Amino acid sequence: MKVVVLGAGISGHTAAAFLKKKLGKKHDVVVVSPSQYYQWVPSNIWVGVGRMTVEQVRFKLEKVYNRWGIDYKQAKVTAIYPEGDSTSEKGFVEIIYTNEVKKGETERVTYDYLVNATGPKLNFEATEGLGPGKNTVSVCSYDHAAHAWEELQKSIELMKQGKKQRFLIGTGHPGATCQGAAFEYALNIAFEIKRRNLSHLAEITWISNEYEVGDFGMGGAFIKRGGYITSTKIFAESVFAENNIKWIKRAGVKKVEPGVAYYETLDGEMHTAEFDFAMLIPAFSGHDIKAYNKSGEDITSVLFAPNKFMKVDADYAPKTFEEWSIKDWPQTYQSPGYENIYAAGIAFAPPHPISKPMKSKNGTAISPAPPRTGMPSGVTGKIIAQNIAEAIISGKMQHKHTASMGRMGAACIVSAGFSMTKGLGATMTVSPIVPDWEKYPDWGRNINSTVGEIGLAGHWIKLFLHYMFLHKAKGYPFWWLLPE
Amino acid sequence: MENRVYSANKDEFYPPVPTKGTQRRRTNFIIQLFSFFRLNLKIMLIVVKGHS
Repeated sequence: MKVVVLGAGISGHTAAAFLKKKLGKKHDVVVVSPSQYYQWVPSNIWVGVGRMTVEQVRFKLEKVYNRWGIDYKQAKVTAIYPEGDSTSEKGFVEIIYTNEVKKGETERVTYDYLVNATGPKLNFEATEGLGPGKNTVSVCSYDHAAHAWEELQKSIELMKQGKKQRFLIGTGHPGATCQGAAFEYALNIAFEIKRRNLSHLAEITWISNEYEVGDFGMGGAFIKRGGYITSTKIFAESVFAENNIKWIKRAGVKKVEPGVAYYETLDGEMHTAEFDFAMLIPAFSGHDIKAYNKSGEDITSVLFAPNKFMKVDADYAPKTFEEWSIKDWPQTYQSPGYENIYAAGIAFAPPHPISKPMKSKNGTAISPAPPRTGMPSGVTGKIIAQNIAEAIISGKMQHKHTASMGRMGAACIVSAGFSMTKGLGATMTVSPIVPDWEKYPDWGRNINSTVGEIGLAGHWIKLFLHYMFLHKAKGYPFWWLLPE
Repeated sequence: MENRVYSANKDEFYPPVPTKGTQRRRTNFIIQLFSFFRLNLKIMLIVVKGHS
Protein backbone atom coordinates (compact mmCIF):
# COMPACT_ATOMS: atom_id res chain seq x y z
CA MET A 1 0.00 0.00 0.00
CA LYS A 2 1.06 3.56 -0.60
CA VAL A 3 0.17 6.58 1.53
CA VAL A 4 0.85 10.03 0.13
CA VAL A 5 1.12 12.96 2.53
CA LEU A 6 0.81 16.44 1.05
CA GLY A 7 2.72 18.94 3.16
CA ALA A 8 5.52 18.62 5.71
CA GLY A 9 4.51 21.12 8.34
CA ILE A 10 3.60 20.20 11.91
CA SER A 11 0.61 18.13 10.81
CA GLY A 12 1.98 16.50 7.66
CA HIS A 13 5.36 15.71 9.19
CA THR A 14 3.71 14.17 12.26
CA ALA A 15 1.42 12.08 10.04
CA ALA A 16 4.31 10.89 7.85
CA ALA A 17 6.47 10.02 10.88
CA PHE A 18 3.78 7.91 12.56
CA LEU A 19 2.71 6.28 9.30
CA LYS A 20 6.24 5.10 8.59
CA LYS A 21 6.81 4.00 12.17
CA LYS A 22 3.64 1.89 12.15
CA LEU A 23 3.82 0.59 8.58
CA GLY A 24 7.55 -0.11 8.38
CA LYS A 25 9.20 -1.21 5.15
CA LYS A 26 6.23 -3.23 3.89
CA HIS A 27 4.34 -0.15 2.78
CA ASP A 28 5.33 3.11 1.11
CA VAL A 29 4.98 6.57 2.57
CA VAL A 30 5.51 9.48 0.20
CA VAL A 31 5.73 13.11 1.31
CA VAL A 32 5.18 15.93 -1.18
CA SER A 33 6.19 19.36 0.09
CA PRO A 34 7.24 22.45 -1.88
CA SER A 35 9.84 23.50 0.71
CA GLN A 36 13.02 21.58 1.39
CA TYR A 37 12.78 22.57 5.07
CA TYR A 38 10.74 21.72 8.12
CA GLN A 39 10.18 24.81 10.21
CA TRP A 40 9.10 25.12 13.81
CA VAL A 41 6.68 27.97 13.18
CA PRO A 42 6.08 29.06 16.84
CA SER A 43 9.73 30.16 17.13
CA ASN A 44 9.55 32.43 14.08
CA ILE A 45 8.56 35.16 16.54
CA TRP A 46 12.08 35.04 17.98
CA VAL A 47 13.60 35.19 14.47
CA GLY A 48 11.50 38.33 13.96
CA VAL A 49 13.19 40.06 16.90
CA GLY A 50 16.68 38.74 16.23
CA ARG A 51 16.81 36.36 19.18
CA MET A 52 17.05 33.23 17.03
CA THR A 53 18.54 32.62 13.61
CA VAL A 54 16.69 31.04 10.72
CA GLU A 55 18.90 27.96 11.05
CA GLN A 56 17.70 27.44 14.62
CA VAL A 57 14.06 27.08 13.57
CA ARG A 58 14.41 24.91 10.47
CA PHE A 59 16.15 21.81 9.15
CA LYS A 60 16.32 19.97 5.85
CA LEU A 61 13.66 17.31 5.40
CA GLU A 62 15.54 15.09 2.97
CA LYS A 63 18.07 13.81 5.50
CA VAL A 64 15.38 12.81 8.01
CA TYR A 65 13.18 11.19 5.37
CA ASN A 66 16.12 9.26 3.93
CA ARG A 67 16.83 7.88 7.39
CA TRP A 68 13.18 6.96 7.94
CA GLY A 69 12.76 5.42 4.48
CA ILE A 70 10.16 7.94 3.37
CA ASP A 71 10.04 8.88 -0.31
CA TYR A 72 10.32 12.66 -0.32
CA LYS A 73 9.39 14.79 -3.32
CA GLN A 74 10.10 18.51 -3.13
CA ALA A 75 7.11 19.56 -5.15
CA LYS A 76 3.78 21.29 -5.04
CA VAL A 77 0.51 19.51 -5.64
CA THR A 78 -1.68 21.03 -8.33
CA ALA A 79 -4.53 18.57 -8.76
CA ILE A 80 -6.16 15.55 -7.16
CA TYR A 81 -7.80 12.78 -9.19
CA PRO A 82 -9.50 10.73 -6.46
CA GLU A 83 -11.05 8.29 -8.95
CA GLY A 84 -8.04 8.10 -11.25
CA ASP A 85 -8.63 8.74 -14.94
CA SER A 86 -8.91 6.83 -18.19
CA THR A 87 -5.32 5.60 -17.84
CA SER A 88 -5.27 4.86 -14.11
CA GLU A 89 -7.72 2.99 -11.89
CA LYS A 90 -6.04 4.35 -8.79
CA GLY A 91 -6.41 7.82 -7.36
CA PHE A 92 -3.44 10.07 -7.99
CA VAL A 93 -2.14 13.59 -7.47
CA GLU A 94 -0.41 15.75 -10.01
CA ILE A 95 2.65 17.50 -8.68
CA ILE A 96 5.12 20.03 -10.02
CA TYR A 97 8.67 19.94 -8.70
CA THR A 98 10.11 22.99 -6.95
CA ASN A 99 13.67 21.81 -6.30
CA GLU A 100 16.53 23.09 -8.42
CA VAL A 101 17.24 19.83 -10.24
CA LYS A 102 13.72 19.07 -11.46
CA LYS A 103 12.11 22.50 -11.20
CA GLY A 104 8.97 22.74 -13.36
CA GLU A 105 8.79 19.00 -14.10
CA THR A 106 5.43 17.38 -13.43
CA GLU A 107 4.62 13.90 -12.19
CA ARG A 108 1.63 11.78 -11.28
CA VAL A 109 1.82 10.13 -7.88
CA THR A 110 -0.69 7.38 -7.25
CA TYR A 111 -1.95 6.58 -3.78
CA ASP A 112 -4.05 4.19 -1.76
CA TYR A 113 -4.54 6.77 0.98
CA LEU A 114 -4.05 10.52 0.72
CA VAL A 115 -3.44 12.90 3.61
CA ASN A 116 -3.83 16.56 2.75
CA ALA A 117 -1.79 18.59 5.22
CA THR A 118 -0.93 21.51 2.99
CA GLY A 119 -1.53 24.15 5.68
CA PRO A 120 -2.66 27.66 4.91
CA LYS A 121 -1.94 29.82 1.92
CA LEU A 122 -0.85 33.22 3.23
CA ASN A 123 -3.36 35.24 1.28
CA PHE A 124 -1.63 38.63 1.20
CA GLU A 125 -3.41 39.37 -2.09
CA ALA A 126 -6.71 39.63 -0.21
CA THR A 127 -5.58 42.99 1.22
CA GLU A 128 -4.19 45.58 -1.16
CA GLY A 129 -0.64 46.61 -0.29
CA LEU A 130 -0.19 43.98 2.44
CA GLY A 131 2.85 41.79 2.91
CA PRO A 132 6.61 41.50 2.47
CA GLY A 133 7.74 43.25 -0.68
CA LYS A 134 4.84 45.67 -0.25
CA ASN A 135 4.14 47.80 2.81
CA THR A 136 4.17 45.46 5.80
CA VAL A 137 6.19 42.59 7.18
CA SER A 138 5.08 39.17 8.39
CA VAL A 139 6.30 36.53 10.84
CA CYS A 140 4.30 33.67 9.32
CA SER A 141 7.35 31.88 7.93
CA TYR A 142 11.06 31.87 8.75
CA ASP A 143 12.04 33.94 5.71
CA HIS A 144 9.31 36.49 6.45
CA ALA A 145 10.44 36.65 10.07
CA ALA A 146 14.08 37.19 9.03
CA HIS A 147 12.93 40.05 6.80
CA ALA A 148 10.83 41.46 9.67
CA TRP A 149 13.96 41.52 11.85
CA GLU A 150 15.89 43.41 9.16
CA GLU A 151 13.14 46.03 9.04
CA LEU A 152 12.82 46.16 12.81
CA GLN A 153 16.55 46.86 13.13
CA LYS A 154 16.11 49.90 10.89
CA SER A 155 13.43 51.26 13.25
CA ILE A 156 15.61 50.55 16.27
CA GLU A 157 18.52 52.40 14.64
CA LEU A 158 16.27 55.40 13.99
CA MET A 159 15.14 55.37 17.63
CA LYS A 160 18.77 55.29 18.71
CA GLN A 161 19.15 58.50 16.70
CA GLY A 162 16.30 59.99 18.72
CA LYS A 163 13.54 59.56 16.15
CA LYS A 164 10.13 58.38 17.32
CA GLN A 165 8.80 55.22 15.67
CA ARG A 166 5.22 54.03 15.33
CA PHE A 167 4.65 50.28 15.32
CA LEU A 168 1.40 48.77 14.09
CA ILE A 169 0.96 45.09 14.91
CA GLY A 170 -2.08 42.86 14.45
CA THR A 171 -4.32 41.49 11.73
CA GLY A 172 -4.21 42.70 8.14
CA HIS A 173 -7.60 41.49 6.93
CA PRO A 174 -11.16 41.69 8.31
CA GLY A 175 -11.31 37.87 8.45
CA ALA A 176 -7.75 37.08 9.51
CA THR A 177 -6.86 34.65 12.27
CA CYS A 178 -3.67 33.82 14.20
CA GLN A 179 -4.05 36.81 16.55
CA GLY A 180 -1.87 34.92 19.05
CA ALA A 181 1.23 35.21 16.84
CA ALA A 182 0.71 38.92 16.32
CA PHE A 183 0.08 39.35 20.07
CA GLU A 184 3.40 37.63 20.76
CA TYR A 185 5.22 39.78 18.28
CA ALA A 186 3.82 43.00 19.75
CA LEU A 187 4.97 41.93 23.23
CA ASN A 188 8.40 40.87 21.99
CA ILE A 189 8.89 44.19 20.22
CA ALA A 190 7.91 46.03 23.42
CA PHE A 191 10.37 43.87 25.38
CA GLU A 192 13.26 44.43 22.94
CA ILE A 193 12.64 48.18 22.85
CA LYS A 194 12.49 48.33 26.64
CA ARG A 195 15.73 46.33 26.87
CA ARG A 196 17.41 49.01 24.79
CA ASN A 197 15.92 51.82 26.92
CA LEU A 198 14.08 53.19 23.90
CA SER A 199 10.48 52.84 25.11
CA HIS A 200 10.02 56.62 25.28
CA LEU A 201 10.51 56.74 21.50
CA ALA A 202 8.13 53.94 20.58
CA GLU A 203 4.40 54.04 20.05
CA ILE A 204 3.08 50.51 19.69
CA THR A 205 -0.50 49.96 18.52
CA TRP A 206 -2.38 46.69 18.35
CA ILE A 207 -4.98 46.53 15.59
CA SER A 208 -7.32 43.58 15.38
CA ASN A 209 -10.55 42.25 13.94
CA GLU A 210 -11.45 40.83 17.36
CA TYR A 211 -14.65 42.17 18.96
CA GLU A 212 -12.69 42.39 22.19
CA VAL A 213 -8.95 41.99 22.62
CA GLY A 214 -8.11 38.55 23.99
CA ASP A 215 -10.65 36.88 21.69
CA PHE A 216 -7.83 35.15 19.76
CA GLY A 217 -10.33 33.73 17.29
CA MET A 218 -11.76 31.34 19.86
CA GLY A 219 -14.38 33.64 21.32
CA GLY A 220 -12.07 34.47 24.22
CA ALA A 221 -11.94 32.34 27.34
CA PHE A 222 -12.48 32.52 31.05
CA ILE A 223 -9.56 31.90 33.36
CA LYS A 224 -8.97 31.64 37.08
CA ARG A 225 -6.70 34.48 38.07
CA GLY A 226 -5.97 36.23 41.34
CA GLY A 227 -8.93 34.74 43.15
CA TYR A 228 -11.38 35.63 40.38
CA ILE A 229 -12.71 34.06 37.24
CA THR A 230 -11.98 36.64 34.62
CA SER A 231 -12.02 36.87 30.85
CA THR A 232 -9.07 36.90 28.45
CA LYS A 233 -10.28 40.39 27.48
CA ILE A 234 -9.16 41.69 30.88
CA PHE A 235 -6.03 39.54 30.65
CA ALA A 236 -5.03 40.94 27.24
CA GLU A 237 -5.91 44.53 28.16
CA SER A 238 -3.81 44.21 31.30
CA VAL A 239 -0.84 42.92 29.31
CA PHE A 240 -1.21 45.75 26.78
CA ALA A 241 -1.52 48.42 29.47
CA GLU A 242 1.53 47.07 31.27
CA ASN A 243 3.57 47.20 28.07
CA ASN A 244 2.24 50.60 27.06
CA ILE A 245 0.57 49.22 23.94
CA LYS A 246 -2.61 50.94 22.83
CA TRP A 247 -5.21 48.98 20.96
CA ILE A 248 -7.73 49.30 18.15
CA LYS A 249 -10.32 46.53 18.05
CA ARG A 250 -13.25 45.57 15.75
CA ALA A 251 -11.10 46.77 12.85
CA GLY A 252 -10.82 45.20 9.42
CA VAL A 253 -7.75 46.39 7.53
CA LYS A 254 -8.73 46.79 3.88
CA LYS A 255 -5.75 48.50 2.29
CA VAL A 256 -2.19 49.40 3.17
CA GLU A 257 -0.12 52.14 1.58
CA PRO A 258 3.42 53.13 2.55
CA GLY A 259 3.14 54.23 6.18
CA VAL A 260 -0.64 54.07 6.44
CA ALA A 261 -3.24 51.35 6.96
CA TYR A 262 -6.87 51.91 6.03
CA TYR A 263 -9.43 50.07 8.11
CA GLU A 264 -13.14 49.83 8.65
CA THR A 265 -14.63 49.36 12.11
CA LEU A 266 -17.80 47.53 13.04
CA ASP A 267 -19.68 50.82 13.32
CA GLY A 268 -19.13 51.20 9.57
CA GLU A 269 -16.65 54.07 9.80
CA MET A 270 -13.42 54.22 7.82
CA HIS A 271 -10.19 55.14 9.62
CA THR A 272 -6.47 55.27 9.04
CA ALA A 273 -3.53 54.24 11.21
CA GLU A 274 -0.09 55.62 10.42
CA PHE A 275 3.03 53.59 11.04
CA ASP A 276 6.75 53.37 10.49
CA PHE A 277 6.82 49.58 10.96
CA ALA A 278 3.85 47.27 10.51
CA MET A 279 3.50 43.52 11.00
CA LEU A 280 0.00 42.48 10.00
CA ILE A 281 -1.14 38.87 9.68
CA PRO A 282 -2.81 38.12 6.33
CA ALA A 283 -6.00 36.19 5.72
CA PHE A 284 -5.52 32.44 5.35
CA SER A 285 -7.04 30.29 2.66
CA GLY A 286 -6.51 26.80 1.33
CA HIS A 287 -4.11 26.24 -1.55
CA ASP A 288 -5.17 26.33 -5.17
CA ILE A 289 -5.60 22.59 -5.66
CA LYS A 290 -8.03 21.42 -8.29
CA ALA A 291 -9.90 18.12 -8.22
CA TYR A 292 -11.21 16.06 -11.16
CA ASN A 293 -13.33 12.94 -11.45
CA LYS A 294 -12.57 9.96 -13.66
CA SER A 295 -13.99 11.61 -16.75
CA GLY A 296 -12.00 14.79 -16.15
CA GLU A 297 -14.87 16.93 -14.84
CA ASP A 298 -14.00 19.54 -12.24
CA ILE A 299 -15.09 18.33 -8.79
CA THR A 300 -13.10 20.89 -6.77
CA SER A 301 -16.26 22.01 -4.99
CA VAL A 302 -16.93 18.40 -3.92
CA LEU A 303 -13.56 18.08 -2.18
CA PHE A 304 -13.01 21.63 -1.08
CA ALA A 305 -15.03 24.37 0.64
CA PRO A 306 -15.20 27.83 -0.99
CA ASN A 307 -12.25 28.97 1.17
CA LYS A 308 -10.23 26.17 -0.51
CA PHE A 309 -9.83 24.14 2.68
CA MET A 310 -10.77 20.47 2.37
CA LYS A 311 -14.19 19.26 3.45
CA VAL A 312 -14.10 16.53 6.08
CA ASP A 313 -16.55 14.84 8.46
CA ALA A 314 -17.85 18.14 9.84
CA ASP A 315 -21.42 19.43 9.72
CA TYR A 316 -21.25 22.20 7.13
CA ALA A 317 -24.98 22.98 7.17
CA PRO A 318 -25.46 26.74 7.64
CA LYS A 319 -26.43 27.50 11.24
CA THR A 320 -26.87 30.56 13.39
CA PHE A 321 -24.38 31.31 16.14
CA GLU A 322 -26.91 30.10 18.72
CA GLU A 323 -27.22 26.74 16.96
CA TRP A 324 -23.48 26.01 16.85
CA SER A 325 -22.43 22.89 18.69
CA ILE A 326 -19.21 21.01 19.26
CA LYS A 327 -20.89 18.17 17.33
CA ASP A 328 -20.40 20.25 14.17
CA TRP A 329 -16.64 19.76 14.43
CA PRO A 330 -14.90 16.84 12.70
CA GLN A 331 -13.51 13.84 14.56
CA THR A 332 -11.81 11.64 11.98
CA TYR A 333 -10.96 14.23 9.27
CA GLN A 334 -12.07 11.87 6.52
CA SER A 335 -13.38 13.34 3.28
CA PRO A 336 -17.15 12.72 3.00
CA GLY A 337 -16.83 12.00 -0.73
CA TYR A 338 -13.75 9.77 -0.77
CA GLU A 339 -13.02 7.52 2.17
CA ASN A 340 -9.29 7.21 1.42
CA ILE A 341 -8.71 10.98 1.62
CA TYR A 342 -8.10 12.87 4.86
CA ALA A 343 -7.22 16.45 5.74
CA ALA A 344 -5.09 17.32 8.77
CA GLY A 345 -4.10 20.48 10.59
CA ILE A 346 -5.02 23.76 8.96
CA ALA A 347 -5.93 22.06 5.68
CA PHE A 348 -9.39 20.91 6.84
CA ALA A 349 -12.35 23.24 6.43
CA PRO A 350 -13.82 24.23 9.80
CA PRO A 351 -17.63 24.01 9.91
CA HIS A 352 -17.89 27.62 11.09
CA PRO A 353 -15.88 30.15 13.11
CA ILE A 354 -15.55 29.91 16.89
CA SER A 355 -15.85 33.64 17.58
CA LYS A 356 -19.27 35.16 17.05
CA PRO A 357 -19.47 36.47 13.45
CA MET A 358 -19.85 40.24 13.21
CA LYS A 359 -20.69 42.49 10.28
CA SER A 360 -20.21 46.23 9.96
CA LYS A 361 -23.03 48.53 8.91
CA ASN A 362 -21.57 48.33 5.41
CA GLY A 363 -21.88 44.54 5.41
CA THR A 364 -18.17 43.83 5.89
CA ALA A 365 -17.60 40.72 7.96
CA ILE A 366 -15.12 41.75 10.66
CA SER A 367 -14.35 38.83 12.93
CA PRO A 368 -11.60 36.25 13.28
CA ALA A 369 -11.51 32.94 11.45
CA PRO A 370 -10.98 29.93 13.74
CA PRO A 371 -7.34 29.33 14.71
CA ARG A 372 -5.70 25.90 14.56
CA THR A 373 -2.47 25.98 16.48
CA GLY A 374 0.39 23.51 16.52
CA MET A 375 -1.13 21.23 19.10
CA PRO A 376 -4.39 20.37 17.26
CA SER A 377 -2.43 20.21 14.01
CA GLY A 378 -0.06 17.63 15.47
CA VAL A 379 -2.87 15.68 17.11
CA THR A 380 -4.98 15.48 13.93
CA GLY A 381 -1.92 14.41 11.93
CA LYS A 382 -1.22 11.66 14.43
CA ILE A 383 -4.74 10.23 14.71
CA ILE A 384 -5.13 10.18 10.92
CA ALA A 385 -1.83 8.29 10.65
CA GLN A 386 -2.89 5.82 13.35
CA ASN A 387 -6.26 5.15 11.71
CA ILE A 388 -4.79 4.70 8.23
CA ALA A 389 -1.95 2.48 9.47
CA GLU A 390 -4.35 0.27 11.43
CA ALA A 391 -6.68 0.04 8.42
CA ILE A 392 -3.82 -1.03 6.16
CA ILE A 393 -2.58 -3.62 8.66
CA SER A 394 -6.01 -5.04 9.57
CA GLY A 395 -7.67 -4.51 6.19
CA LYS A 396 -10.57 -2.68 7.82
CA MET A 397 -11.04 1.01 8.60
CA GLN A 398 -12.25 1.33 12.17
CA HIS A 399 -11.42 4.93 13.11
CA LYS A 400 -10.44 3.94 16.62
CA HIS A 401 -8.68 7.27 17.05
CA THR A 402 -10.64 10.50 17.06
CA ALA A 403 -9.86 14.09 17.99
CA SER A 404 -12.47 16.82 17.88
CA MET A 405 -11.62 20.44 18.54
CA GLY A 406 -14.73 20.38 20.70
CA ARG A 407 -13.00 17.85 22.93
CA MET A 408 -9.27 18.44 22.69
CA GLY A 409 -7.52 21.22 24.49
CA ALA A 410 -4.72 23.45 23.34
CA ALA A 411 -1.84 25.21 24.94
CA CYS A 412 -0.49 28.41 23.52
CA ILE A 413 2.69 29.75 25.03
CA VAL A 414 2.81 33.42 24.16
CA SER A 415 6.34 34.72 24.36
CA ALA A 416 6.52 38.17 25.91
CA GLY A 417 10.29 38.59 25.92
CA PHE A 418 13.36 36.41 25.33
CA SER A 419 15.71 36.13 28.32
CA MET A 420 16.59 33.19 30.58
CA THR A 421 16.40 35.37 33.70
CA LYS A 422 14.15 38.30 32.80
CA GLY A 423 12.10 36.88 29.93
CA LEU A 424 8.37 36.42 30.13
CA GLY A 425 5.81 34.15 28.56
CA ALA A 426 2.06 33.95 28.93
CA THR A 427 1.02 30.33 29.30
CA MET A 428 -2.49 29.99 27.97
CA THR A 429 -4.37 26.74 27.92
CA VAL A 430 -7.96 26.08 26.98
CA SER A 431 -9.93 22.87 27.11
CA PRO A 432 -11.74 22.31 24.87
CA ILE A 433 -10.69 24.66 22.07
CA VAL A 434 -14.27 25.08 20.87
CA PRO A 435 -16.48 26.05 23.83
CA ASP A 436 -18.89 23.33 24.89
CA TRP A 437 -21.78 25.22 26.44
CA GLU A 438 -23.76 22.03 27.05
CA LYS A 439 -21.07 20.39 29.15
CA TYR A 440 -19.74 23.60 30.71
CA PRO A 441 -22.79 25.92 30.85
CA ASP A 442 -21.08 28.54 33.03
CA TRP A 443 -17.80 29.18 31.26
CA GLY A 444 -17.93 27.14 28.05
CA ARG A 445 -14.75 25.30 28.98
CA ASN A 446 -13.28 23.34 31.84
CA ILE A 447 -12.27 26.19 34.13
CA ASN A 448 -9.68 24.00 35.87
CA SER A 449 -7.86 23.27 32.62
CA THR A 450 -8.03 26.82 31.30
CA VAL A 451 -5.03 28.85 32.36
CA GLY A 452 -3.62 32.30 31.65
CA GLU A 453 -0.46 32.96 33.55
CA ILE A 454 2.49 35.26 32.92
CA GLY A 455 5.98 34.58 34.13
CA LEU A 456 9.51 33.52 33.41
CA ALA A 457 8.29 29.90 33.49
CA GLY A 458 6.30 30.64 30.32
CA HIS A 459 9.47 31.64 28.53
CA TRP A 460 11.25 28.51 29.74
CA ILE A 461 8.32 26.36 28.59
CA LYS A 462 8.32 27.92 25.12
CA LEU A 463 12.06 27.41 24.83
CA PHE A 464 11.76 23.85 26.16
CA LEU A 465 9.01 23.10 23.63
CA HIS A 466 11.19 24.56 20.84
CA TYR A 467 13.97 22.04 21.53
CA MET A 468 11.60 19.19 22.37
CA PHE A 469 9.57 19.48 19.17
CA LEU A 470 12.66 19.89 16.99
CA HIS A 471 14.07 16.76 18.66
CA LYS A 472 10.84 14.98 17.82
CA ALA A 473 10.65 16.30 14.25
CA LYS A 474 14.24 15.25 13.56
CA GLY A 475 13.40 11.73 14.69
CA TYR A 476 15.97 11.64 17.45
CA PRO A 477 15.83 8.79 20.01
CA PHE A 478 12.41 8.14 21.56
CA TRP A 479 10.79 10.87 19.47
CA TRP A 480 7.52 8.97 19.40
CA LEU A 481 7.16 9.23 23.18
CA LEU A 482 6.92 12.99 23.03
CA PRO A 483 3.36 14.31 22.95
CA GLU A 484 1.94 16.54 20.26
CA MET B 1 4.95 56.19 31.92
CA GLU B 2 5.97 59.15 29.82
CA ASN B 3 4.71 57.79 26.59
CA ARG B 4 1.38 56.49 27.86
CA VAL B 5 -1.28 56.92 25.21
CA TYR B 6 -4.77 57.48 26.56
CA SER B 7 -6.68 58.10 23.35
CA ALA B 8 -7.04 54.47 22.26
CA ASN B 9 -8.82 53.41 25.41
CA LYS B 10 -10.42 56.64 26.53
CA ASP B 11 -13.87 55.04 26.61
CA GLU B 12 -12.69 51.93 28.40
CA PHE B 13 -12.26 51.23 32.06
CA TYR B 14 -8.62 50.88 33.00
CA PRO B 15 -7.44 47.30 33.11
CA PRO B 16 -5.60 45.90 36.11
CA VAL B 17 -1.84 46.32 35.96
CA PRO B 18 0.59 44.26 38.01
CA THR B 19 2.07 45.57 41.22
CA LYS B 20 5.84 45.57 41.82
CA GLY B 21 5.36 42.45 43.95
CA THR B 22 3.60 40.61 41.12
CA GLN B 23 6.32 41.64 38.69
CA ARG B 24 9.00 40.34 41.07
CA ARG B 25 7.18 37.02 41.49
CA ARG B 26 7.02 36.63 37.73
CA THR B 27 10.80 36.40 37.53
CA ASN B 28 11.48 34.79 40.92
CA PHE B 29 13.54 31.71 40.15
CA ILE B 30 12.06 29.41 42.82
CA ILE B 31 8.43 30.35 42.11
CA GLN B 32 8.96 30.09 38.37
CA LEU B 33 10.75 26.75 38.62
CA PHE B 34 7.72 25.37 40.45
CA SER B 35 5.41 26.96 37.84
CA PHE B 36 7.48 25.43 35.04
CA PHE B 37 6.78 21.90 36.25
CA ARG B 38 3.18 22.63 37.26
CA LEU B 39 2.28 24.18 33.89
CA ASN B 40 4.09 21.49 31.92
CA LEU B 41 2.10 18.85 33.75
CA LYS B 42 -1.12 20.72 33.03
CA ILE B 43 -0.27 20.98 29.33
CA MET B 44 0.63 17.29 29.19
CA LEU B 45 -2.69 16.27 30.73
CA ILE B 46 -4.61 18.43 28.27
CA VAL B 47 -2.83 16.79 25.32
CA VAL B 48 -3.31 13.25 26.57
CA LYS B 49 -7.01 13.74 27.45
CA GLY B 50 -7.77 15.50 24.20
CA HIS B 51 -7.78 12.56 21.80
CA SER B 52 -8.31 8.85 21.83
